Amino acid sequence: MPLGSVVFAFAVGALIVGATGANPFSAYAGLLCGGLGIGCTQGENPALEISNTIVFAIPLITTGVAVALPFRAGLFNIGAEGQLLAGSIACTAIGIKFNTLPAPILLPMVLLGGMAAGALWAGIPGVLKATVGAHEVVTTIMLNYVAQWLIRYLIIGGPLQAPGGFSASSPIGPGARLATLLPHDNSLIIFGLPSSVYRVHTGIFIALVAAGVFAFLLWRTTLGYEIRAVGQSQRAARYAGVSVRRTIIVTMLIAGAFSGLAGAIQIAGVDHGLTDKYFSDTTGFDAIAVALLGLGSAVGIVLASVLFGALHAGGAVMQSDAGISSSLVGVLQALILFSIAANFLSAIWRRLPGTRSAPHAPPPATPAAGLMTEAAAAPTESPSSA
Amino acid sequence: MAHKHFRFLGVVAAAMVLTIACGGTSGGGTPTKTYKIGLVTDIGGLNDKSFNHLADLGLEKAKTDFKIQGDVKESKSGDDYIPNLTDFATKKYDLVIGVGFLMQEAVGTVSGQFPDIHFAIIDGAGTDAKSNDLKHPNVQSLYFKEQDAGAMVGTMAGWLEKNNKAKKNKHIIGAVGGISIPPVDHYIAGYKWAAKIEDPSIQVKIGYSNNFTDPAKCKGVAKSQIDAGADIVFQVAGGCGLGVLQQAGQSGVYSIGVDADQKDADPSVIASALKKVDVATYTAIKNVVNNQFQGGALTFSIANEGAGYAIDNLDVPAELKAELDKVLGQIKSGALTPPADIPA
Repeated sequence: MPLGSVVFAFAVGALIVGATGANPFSAYAGLLCGGLGIGCTQGENPALEISNTIVFAIPLITTGVAVALPFRAGLFNIGAEGQLLAGSIACTAIGIKFNTLPAPILLPMVLLGGMAAGALWAGIPGVLKATVGAHEVVTTIMLNYVAQWLIRYLIIGGPLQAPGGFSASSPIGPGARLATLLPHDNSLIIFGLPSSVYRVHTGIFIALVAAGVFAFLLWRTTLGYEIRAVGQSQRAARYAGVSVRRTIIVTMLIAGAFSGLAGAIQIAGVDHGLTDKYFSDTTGFDAIAVALLGLGSAVGIVLASVLFGALHAGGAVMQSDAGISSSLVGVLQALILFSIAANFLSAIWRRLPGTRSAPHAPPPATPAAGLMTEAAAAPTESPSSA
Repeated sequence: MAHKHFRFLGVVAAAMVLTIACGGTSGGGTPTKTYKIGLVTDIGGLNDKSFNHLADLGLEKAKTDFKIQGDVKESKSGDDYIPNLTDFATKKYDLVIGVGFLMQEAVGTVSGQFPDIHFAIIDGAGTDAKSNDLKHPNVQSLYFKEQDAGAMVGTMAGWLEKNNKAKKNKHIIGAVGGISIPPVDHYIAGYKWAAKIEDPSIQVKIGYSNNFTDPAKCKGVAKSQIDAGADIVFQVAGGCGLGVLQQAGQSGVYSIGVDADQKDADPSVIASALKKVDVATYTAIKNVVNNQFQGGALTFSIANEGAGYAIDNLDVPAELKAELDKVLGQIKSGALTPPADIPA
């Protein structure tokens, strides 16, 4: 199903490119080169392209997890972006305030601080949902705006603005920064380029660990069982003795911590301070598509993050090599999400001759409902193999 | 579950092989020396009707005049500045142009990594994280004497007030800046200085919105100036400043646009102070083609046609036109020098 969505998106994308009079093959060749460093013809450096893709994928993994976990509990966390921003604010504030501390102390402080801030940001909708039943879609979306405007205030005339008048904070202390995998050295040549151009940082390991923690939590712990139970049926879960309210709040707190960690990693690993780019950051929204495309599983989320990271990194190469606007990437992402949400591919599949007749097929589940059940992880759309 | 992922991988891999196989048609040989120019926009994108658009016009003009290959990368977010600049640099482009001061730090970083590649940046320099100019010899800063353009629209505002041709004629005009940074204050300095020369009794109200993007913020600042009697307001606040133009229209007074010709933004716009980013971009490319690239600052002013003004939604009386031509000539010849700092 998700693979079908990707193929569908690329096929429709090719039609769109073709309709504008350009060559879809050169467009996708540019994307492939810029995203994965494969088949580059114009002097691009494959190692650099892969490095860029990983840098873009890192925050998507952690925020993807932050969307997928509440999905399992039947909650729609549309607020991963706001939680990410809260984490980036906390990381920056701590990293500036204690900028003289050494890395072994300061780095855990900024990362944990980011997680705490993200948890707080997601905890508000969690508590509101559990106590007064306020719908988390509305509250998490609204808190995204609050976080965006809070950053605006903080770095434009607010307490985090760097002296000098630009809309950016001061840089965080050296001890608060995640190291790059290769030394940050302009004179050391690796793969034909100065090693400082490869920006992949140790945040990749943190993100992969976060994905592992997510899988372990969900499938190997009591809490994970409770989360899945609440997601499948709150009534049944309550009958089985699970506190639905507590589970909702705890789920949101953990999800927020994952998002906050993404924000902290971005600051500590890439930006080293808040800038105006966070006014228009969309990582937390892309994460929704990543979680859906990854079927809410840890491995799926990592793969989907790499795909979206590659699309992001590849867009610019495609634009300069093939002369096709990098906005095509946005179109492809939207098409992927659209076909998952519409779920029509499996409906078409089911009607194909040779597959089981309609009455025996299971009713088409909505994608979110699918994510909440273990059954969704199995290939439900190929009943012919049964 | 596992086999499903493997299947996913398998088909992705198959799709990749297919695309590579078919993608070999692009690319071609490069006869003799074709200069390669890379332009990286800021997050405004090519259709911003301002800096990025003008830079692209400069590139297009250079394409028709010289033997160059010009490629553009639009930055979708601040995350893209470094990868976009780096990509052109790794491909050994002859000039990589960054549009706008938002890219200062990125240009500073990448120009340090690629000392053999020439960079140019509009309205900025290659800096470190604290906005200190790193003074890399391979970076050319394309700066503007905004005070020249400010002086032209200031002359116009002062003349209208002096001759009672404005809306209220209380000899009060206003300027709304985004943030008090040099390029903004240069505009306001020239504006105030020239308006005072025309009309010594004039009062110039100056306010800052602390914002470059939100029109509502600038609208508020403009409204307070208009309520205090101002009947010509000059916006120096980018996208935020559109609110100044709108407020002037709603209050029935005149407004003045900035950077690009903002004639169409609101009927109240009588003139625009222009920063000719297209001229700057074209000149930077021309220098590279003629082997005359130089690091450091290159400043564009009225004298080298890199700054100026446009008359917009107003029928300008002949006397005013004559006055404007006189002042323009004097600034061009050096007889008049608008100040960079806002006069008292």
